[in-house]
Amino acid sequence: MNLREIIQSIRNKINPPERLSNETVLGFLKALEDEGGDEITCDELFKKLDVYVERQADQRDAALIMPLIREHLDTCAECCEEYEALLHVIEGTAKNQTTG
Amino acid sequence: MTTRTNAAWISDLRANGETRSKALEDLRVVIQRGLPYALSRWLSPDQPQFTALVEEVTQETLLRVIDQLGTFEGRSQFTTWVHKIAVRIALTELRRKRWRDSSLDELTENEDAPPPPGLLADSQAGPETSAERADMLSRVRRIIEEELTDRQRQALILLGVQDIPIEDAAKKLKTNRNALYKLLHDARLRLRTRLAREDIAPNEVLALFEPK
Repeated sequence: MNLREIIQSIRNKINPPERLSNETVLGFLKALEDEGGDEITCDELFKKLDVYVERQADQRDAALIMPLIREHLDTCAECCEEYEALLHVIEGTAKNQTTG
Repeated sequence: MTTRTNAAWISDLRANGETRSKALEDLRVVIQRGLPYALSRWLSPDQPQFTALVEEVTQETLLRVIDQLGTFEGRSQFTTWVHKIAVRIALTELRRKRWRDSSLDELTENEDAPPPPGLLADSQAGPETSAERADMLSRVRRIIEEELTDRQRQALILLGVQDIPIEDAAKKLKTNRNALYKLLHDARLRLRTRLAREDIAPNEVLALFEPK
C-alpha cells in the first residue's frame, strides 16, 4: 500500500463512506466507458454518438464529459459530418415540437 | 402520433399485429421528420432526388432498427438512437455519389458501414448469474470506496451518473468548472487503473447486467 492508500484506508475506518446503491455502482462503470482509453475508433464513437449529441443539445458540455469523442470528431471528417447532421436533427425536431 | 417511452417503443416493436404495425408507422414518421435536417447540407426538399432518397433511407432504417433492437442500451432517447442510424444510412448513400450535386465537398467511396457490434448478453439469468452479479458489484463497490475520495465520488455521481450540467455540479461542490473537470478526470483515471490492475473490464461487468 502506498501513503495515499494508507491515508484513504484510515479515513474510511474513521468515517466510513455512505454505501453506494447498485445502480450508482453501475453508473460509475458506465461513466468510465465514456472515457475508455487514449483514443476511440469510429465504430466506438458511433455507438455513443446518440448519448453525446443529446448531452450537447441539452447542456452544451458534451466535450467536457466525453472528451475522447470530441478529440475524435476534431480529426475525423466523416464522423464529424454524422455528428453535425444528428445534432441538427435533434435540435431541429425539438424546435418543431415546441413551436407546434 | 402516439408518444412513447423507450420501454414502450421496444415493447411495441417486438409485439405482434396491430401494435407493431402502429409502432412501425409512427417510427416512419419520426424518421421522415428528421431526415430533412440530416440532409440539409447536401439536399433540399425541393430537389428531385430528395423524396426518393428519404424513402430509401427510411425503409433501410426501419429494417436496421428492427434487426438491432437488442443493442439499444437506453442511454439516450430511443428516437435519438433511431435518428443516428438514419443519419449513418443517409450519409453513406450520399457518399456513394448518387445523390450529391457537383458543387459539394470531395466525395469518398465508402462501403455501407457495418452496424455497431451489439453487446453480448448472457441469456441465462439463473441463480449462478445472480450470484456472479452480486459478487462483481461487491468487488467494484469496494474498489470505489478504496480508490476515490469523497469529492471524487460526488463528482462522478453528479456528472457521470445523474448527468447534471457541469455548472450546477460545480456550484454543488463549491468549486469551478475547470477544477471539477480535473477532479472528474482524476477520479476516472484512478478507477480505471485500479480496475485494470484487478483485471476487471467495465464493459464486461456492464454486459452481465444486460436485460434478457
